[in-house]
Amino acid sequence: MLLDQTMKFFGALGAQTGVADLWWGNVVMIAVGIGMILLAVIKKYEPLLLVGIGFSCIVSNVPGSNLILEGGLFDYAYKGVELLILPPLIFFGVGAMTDFGPMIANPGLVILGAAAHLGIFVALIGAKLLGFTIYQSGAIGIIGGADGPMAIFMSVKLAPELLPQISVAAYSYMALMPLIQPPVMRLLTSKQERMIRMKQLRTVSRVERIAFPIVIGIIVNLLLPPVAPLITMLMLGNLFKEVLVTERLAKTAANEVMNMVIVLLTVAIGSTMQADKFLTGSTIEVVVLGLIAFLFGTGSGVIGAKILNLFLKEKINPLLGSAGIASVPIAAHVAHNVALEDDPDNFLIYHAMGPNLAGVFGTALSGGIMLALLQ
Amino acid sequence: MSRDTLTFAVILSLIDFFLSMAMITGIGLILRLLPLLNRLGALDEESMRRGH
Repeated sequence: MLLDQTMKFFGALGAQTGVADLWWGNVVMIAVGIGMILLAVIKKYEPLLLVGIGFSCIVSNVPGSNLILEGGLFDYAYKGVELLILPPLIFFGVGAMTDFGPMIANPGLVILGAAAHLGIFVALIGAKLLGFTIYQSGAIGIIGGADGPMAIFMSVKLAPELLPQISVAAYSYMALMPLIQPPVMRLLTSKQERMIRMKQLRTVSRVERIAFPIVIGIIVNLLLPPVAPLITMLMLGNLFKEVLVTERLAKTAANEVMNMVIVLLTVAIGSTMQADKFLTGSTIEVVVLGLIAFLFGTGSGVIGAKILNLFLKEKINPLLGSAGIASVPIAAHVAHNVALEDDPDNFLIYHAMGPNLAGVFGTALSGGIMLALLQ
Repeated sequence: MSRDTLTFAVILSLIDFFLSMAMITGIGLILRLLPLLNRLGALDEESMRRGH
């Protein structure tokens, strides 16, 4: 009888833990989470993102964890994503630390910020061919814009069931851009083209720097209300930075706000990486389509720059076209580094920031038009 | 036309790509006008930094 009672006691104890519900998928995803943390710590790949995503991926795949259930801590973090509060706050911080001077100084190159987004539509059509719905295809396509908050924004709006795959693919490829882009850039350009040096950019005045976010804020809210939250907050952060009289607010936005939002965002994304939702065939398809989007985007940006050169007396370095992918400042750094391989004195970074920053607007425009046509 | 078709995806892509090129070109044209604001005069950045 005592043995019976003891067995019942242990049985009841075991039933309220998650041990009985553990399956191989959980083990795989826990290993993925550990892998992300190792990549962050040892290889220093996007540590600010991968540590949080990796840890919450591990915890979310431990059966019985209350954190991901309704009312749990990670669930509340996810609500910040679902209600589209966190992505605009990320842009708020980004705006407060961004110098849009290169873009303002050379407005002729902003078109590269749209030319480099052909990858979005190649991936969209590819996803449709693979059987995804048009909404899912649109969300997958935006991976090609190389803009994390925008990818999350579009995914929540169009295909929330694919949020874990899309956000992981978008942020992973952004971190891998120094590996993905250069082969495409070298393939599509000659050594002579890569060695083209750019003229020094003009100085942008304080008046222009202050007017820029105000003008863009008006334009985006007037023409593209669906994506206005993201760009408006980007511009608000930038305005705090440029007016100089709100330095403490700009510093708070760029540091404390940004850090808190990154913690919540990464925990939210990782918490959606549950094995039953993540370990599916569509995950592999999304990952492959994301890579295709990046490759085509890089290529279309470079070709866009070469087409632009047909109309310009003073040629631009076509490597700047690849910087039109929105991942700021990674894509600009990649263009700069590839140019240095052929000419160690050819410093393209400041010039490449122009199309790189324009790429943020290019992704927002593509996404906003897509939302307007689909919703 | 039903939206969930390949044809719609292609049309959506073409419209989106070229429309975003047109809109960003428009933004570029507006940015070309920004230097005109410099005719209003320069700002005293030192006093702006001090005054908060």
